[in-house]
Amino acid sequence: MTSAIATHALTKDYGSGHGLFELNLEIAEGEVFGFLGPNGAGKTTTIRLLMGLIHASAGTATVFGLDCDRDSVAVKREVGYLPGDLPQFGGMRGSEVVAYLGGMRGGVDGARVKDLAERFELDLGRRFREYSRGNKQKLGLVLAFMHRPRLLILDEPTGGLDPLNQQTFHRLVGEVSASGATVFLSSHVLSEVEETCSRVGIIRDGRLVSDMTMDKVHELRFHEVIIEFNGAVPEAAVRGAAGVADVKVDGSKLTCTVHGGFDALLAAISGHSVVDLVSREPSLESIFLSFYST
Amino acid sequence: MSPRLLLRLHRIGLIAMAYFGIFYVLVNSAAFPIFAGKTHAAQEAFGHSIIVLGAQFTWLLPAPVRPDTAAGYLQWRGYGFFAIVFAAWGLMSACGAVRRDEDRGLVEVWLAAGSSRLRLLVTRTAFFAALSAEIVTLAGAAGWLGCVIAGSPADVAGLVGENAALWGLTLACFGIGLLISQLAADFRAAASAGSALLLLMFLLDGIGRSSIHPAPFTDISVFHLFNQANAIAPGGSFDLSATLLLFALAAAATALASIAFVRRDLGTGLIRTRRRGAPETHDVSSNPLLRIPVVRGIWIRRVGALAWTGGMAVAAAAVVLLVNVTATFFASTPSLAPYLRGLPGGVHTVLLALIWLSFAQALVAIFAIGSVSRWASEDSSGVLEMQLAEPRSRWAVLRERAGELTVTLAVMAFASMAVILALAPAESIPVDVGKLLNATALLIPFALTFAALGALLAGWRPRVAVVVLSTIAAISYFVFELGPLFKWPAWAENLSVFQLYGTPLITPVFVGGLIAMLAIVVVGFGSAGLVLARRDVAA
Repeated sequence: MTSAIATHALTKDYGSGHGLFELNLEIAEGEVFGFLGPNGAGKTTTIRLLMGLIHASAGTATVFGLDCDRDSVAVKREVGYLPGDLPQFGGMRGSEVVAYLGGMRGGVDGARVKDLAERFELDLGRRFREYSRGNKQKLGLVLAFMHRPRLLILDEPTGGLDPLNQQTFHRLVGEVSASGATVFLSSHVLSEVEETCSRVGIIRDGRLVSDMTMDKVHELRFHEVIIEFNGAVPEAAVRGAAGVADVKVDGSKLTCTVHGGFDALLAAISGHSVVDLVSREPSLESIFLSFYST
Repeated sequence: MSPRLLLRLHRIGLIAMAYFGIFYVLVNSAAFPIFAGKTHAAQEAFGHSIIVLGAQFTWLLPAPVRPDTAAGYLQWRGYGFFAIVFAAWGLMSACGAVRRDEDRGLVEVWLAAGSSRLRLLVTRTAFFAALSAEIVTLAGAAGWLGCVIAGSPADVAGLVGENAALWGLTLACFGIGLLISQLAADFRAAASAGSALLLLMFLLDGIGRSSIHPAPFTDISVFHLFNQANAIAPGGSFDLSATLLLFALAAAATALASIAFVRRDLGTGLIRTRRRGAPETHDVSSNPLLRIPVVRGIWIRRVGALAWTGGMAVAAAAVVLLVNVTATFFASTPSLAPYLRGLPGGVHTVLLALIWLSFAQALVAIFAIGSVSRWASEDSSGVLEMQLAEPRSRWAVLRERAGELTVTLAVMAFASMAVILALAPAESIPVDVGKLLNATALLIPFALTFAALGALLAGWRPRVAVVVLSTIAAISYFVFELGPLFKWPAWAENLSVFQLYGTPLITPVFVGGLIAMLAIVVVGFGSAGLVLARRDVAA
């Protein structure tokens, strides 16, 4: 089966270490791929390369087997795109913006637009300059989804949306994914990725540092454990227990992290009097922060 | 706000006024012996002719004083015309500083950064005052130099006084613009209201000057106050009180604008119109025009296109009405006969060609440059990115831009031609329809020549496209104006696009010029396509 997106050593070098370097990525049709990274990491550069807006310094990128640079017109027939910043359409009404850009595509599915606008509670009768930031983002989402594309490329899609509309967006992504469409979205919002994506890539300083399924991400989860003893602390036994790390002792209190099951830790502390035991699961955010900070 | 940022915000006005102020003054003073002749007798005869001509145009310009001298001619031709140009610059700069920057969200950012409203307004005013003082000084220096070159140095004190009045007029109009911008809700409303007010004051001044009975309220016109000074012309005078009144008006308007700015809500004007709310809808627009290539762009910009078409048609009507007056003057002034000798067609046709076509050329060239400015801004604003996110090539974007411009230019040009054909018989002006058709049609490749060069510049370096293109247009115009005066070789004159257009109303179509223009259009747009295709967009 042809990949929805495939990049091979894709590079855009802006000089001074800025840009995107040797990105190798393959996203299957129907996947919802979250592209995570801090500001300036190269997320938008990747998206613009996929859209054929900028030219690669080296490497290739294809969408459904079509070269993103050479066949960019054919690529864009299959793609719904939301840019990071929606441009100013001044005094045009939302309905006119949709008709104008839809006209460039060759036609607009009025029923689909109406459905999307109703779901996002977006009044298309208002002028663009009167829209709030959130409404502009909703209009951008309508424009991206309105022609039922096979691939959605969305640059930070929930920026400016209120929680209710974020939920609407998540449901919409679920629906298009269920119907077989592929979604490639960049985000800073981890809960959004956790809720919508089946796979995640992490980019830092222009390089992909991790690419894994969400199941794998969840496997990375660990527990932070704090145990307070009544008497001697079995530090050596705990340090030797399988899956236990980051052991610290402060008086009668021991803290550590536990990856996988608790059996080894419980065996290590058996026979000791425990006053208190607290186990905490860190957020997904903590897991990703470890990627960003190392 | 740093001076660099302020300079950037005012750069277009600065460049345009520097070009205009310096070159216009220099040409009209230095080239005086070429216009008027080198002998005292020839200059005296020329001066007499100008006095007769000036008398016919007192509704437009003050009566000339000693136009037989370079300084007197500069006073009439240069500073008489300067008034409306510098006034418009002051007004538009103020509307831009308040309303356009507010519409862009810049004012909100500056205020959020800790600047007070009063300080913001005072800073903008002070910067514009300094900027306009420099431009006015440069224009004055150019006038002095031009008169020296012409061999009859102007009185320095007179030049200083006249330029002080010009500076006062510019600042007064800036103050008026600041005040009107506090009342209006957006840039378009402020600019329209301000322009209407300036036009009214200009007409009041003109009527007051040309009417036997003084028109009411003439004294409140800033143009009337400015025209009290004619200090450059030998024997002219400088009215200190009128000039001080201009500065007082500027200060009062700025003070009132400051009070209004402090009191009003950001993003609104003091005068609030009830917004006619469109009913809520979730439907896509059913307008079929938005779906047709080329037409959709014209529809989106229909207000501007209609304004340009209407403005050009009005200009055509005014020229037709002016031709008879000017023809009568030429017929009664033997010294001006050499200007028309050797040209085929009657005086009316020649005048129609000289006046109308120079107007029309300037208008369509400015329109083309304005279109290039929009293309360049579409790149930085992200509109181009959105257009290219749809399944269309960069070549298609370029083709549609060129098509939209061509159709709009055709509508503008042929609408004005229709006005000329409709009004000319009533004015007894013989018009060769075929030649008028040629002249009108040629305006399209003429304007597209600038557009093609602009498209190439916008595709290559969008940020500098307008500045470079404006420079090319200005040089092209001055080559066209100065070439015949200084008897430059034909190849040098043909470097001007204005020259390539020819004089199709009175001479056969300049085929070589047409081919050159079409070649520039094809090569320009072709190169623009190649450059745009290779360039990164939205990077």
